Amino acid sequence: MFAGEAAVEVRGLGVRYSLRLTRKNTIRNSLAQFVRRESSGGHFWALRDVSLSVGHGESLAVIGPNGAGKSTLLQVLAGIINPTEGEISIRGRLSSLLTLGAGFDQELSGRDNILLAGAFLGIEDVEIQERLDDIIAFADIGQFIDAAIKTYSSGMRARLGFAIATSVNPDILLLDEVLATGDQVFRAKSKERVLELAKGAKAIVLVTHDMHWVTEFCNRAMLIEHGHVIAEGQPADIVQMHQDRSDAARRGVPPPPV
Amino acid sequence: MLPFAAMSRPIPEFPVARTTGVRPGPIGLLGNAVRDVWTRRRLIRYLVRADLKKKGNDTLFGNVWWILDPLLQMSIYVVLVSIIFERSQPDYGLFIFAAILPWKWFSSAISDSISSVSGQDRLIKQVQFPKIVLPVAAILAGIAQFAFGMIPLAGMMLLLYADRISPTLLLIPVVAVVQLVFMLALGIFLAALNVFFRDVGNVSRHALRLWFYLSPALYGATVIDGVARSHPEIATLIKINPFYPILNAYRSVIYEGTTPEWQGLGVVLAISIAFLIVSVWFFKRVEPTFAKVL
Repeated sequence: MFAGEAAVEVRGLGVRYSLRLTRKNTIRNSLAQFVRRESSGGHFWALRDVSLSVGHGESLAVIGPNGAGKSTLLQVLAGIINPTEGEISIRGRLSSLLTLGAGFDQELSGRDNILLAGAFLGIEDVEIQERLDDIIAFADIGQFIDAAIKTYSSGMRARLGFAIATSVNPDILLLDEVLATGDQVFRAKSKERVLELAKGAKAIVLVTHDMHWVTEFCNRAMLIEHGHVIAEGQPADIVQMHQDRSDAARRGVPPPPV
Repeated sequence: MLPFAAMSRPIPEFPVARTTGVRPGPIGLLGNAVRDVWTRRRLIRYLVRADLKKKGNDTLFGNVWWILDPLLQMSIYVVLVSIIFERSQPDYGLFIFAAILPWKWFSSAISDSISSVSGQDRLIKQVQFPKIVLPVAAILAGIAQFAFGMIPLAGMMLLLYADRISPTLLLIPVVAVVQLVFMLALGIFLAALNVFFRDVGNVSRHALRLWFYLSPALYGATVIDGVARSHPEIATLIKINPFYPILNAYRSVIYEGTTPEWQGLGVVLAISIAFLIVSVWFFKRVEPTFAKVL
């Protein structure tokens, strides 16, 4: 069905949210809806007709305004959300780094959190034990590794999250706006690490607002607006197009044609 | 230089193709659930351990509270019932302790389980993992609390009720297994329901309290007979409650030193297994929408 050697292949992807099942539903709302015979809210397509393919060694930047569906795209690729329509094929081991330190348990120590995160990510126990020292060293947590995460600074948390997610040597790495965290030193270090992963024949899909990253380190870029792919191509061209369209939106004039 | 050496172990290949419209049937969903729990048993173990660590860490006495809690609760009821209401039983302390211990296990594990999925909303949106491990771990973590409760039970029996020690005490784990199956079924079901209706958490607090008073925890057969004469419908409610045979069984083996009524216990076990199958199916059926709804 999927020819070629692409690590990530997506065809005609669509993700629909039912507005009925929104956050913090209560029985009262449901009853009220039922009594008023409301036609349960309708639907909202967060993504529609998205097709893409990322080969080994490629890194694709996904850019676009807030709420365009970029993070939803990563969630679908990571298998967190099921597509409503379309096909996805992932070849290789995948690691997602969507929001740093999302699953950290505030009460547990850094070390316990590494083990727990490894178990959540489905990494083999021997593997995570082997990598424990590397992760601690890379995150530069030092003696605080046995203190509860709630005592960590946000930078320490972000570093630990980054170190865990990239420790698995994934074939495919999904990154969501994570490169802008930490101080100068760690930013340089994480940049180096991402480049290393990209070089090792790993595919990367990256969501960012940092246009420097896109032009400097990605070899392809894709612009998404309102859940639709607007354009795909050379990073410099796409970034330029994104900026032109954002400027137009700011001034309230119709966006320039693609 | 980066600290990450190249992996020497070959990376297992996971060719994944996800398409729409392919949804396994009920048997497939149940099979998936069993596989989820089995392949992620290490995750469950870590979650249980993390839970116990947290519960032990944030108080001065730590896990000693698992010993003190049921004892204090028992003392309150003993004072209330035998002194104020003057409606006592011989060895009333042991009589109610035999019911308070399993009930505390039930109510705290069910409360933990209800919030187990909705409380991990951030993680669920970031990482793909089988969500069923969360309520399962919450219920299993409660076993430690119940096991700790055996310490004050042993102490009380040795010091105060030595004449009530009998070999039927060895049947406590058998009754506990029946209770565990029922708890897994209810916990998994309510954990999934609470994702969609956050009221479950609020309702459960009151429902659990009412349930406690409708269970033969503070009173025994004589009181229920009295209720049956004045309010037959309430007595029926008490008797169709799964905790009627369960608490009676605990009381048989701990307080009376007789073997439990196997028939009632067997019925509870059979119904619990059926309920467990339904609630696992329900959980797996709605699981894919969790990340969207939370």
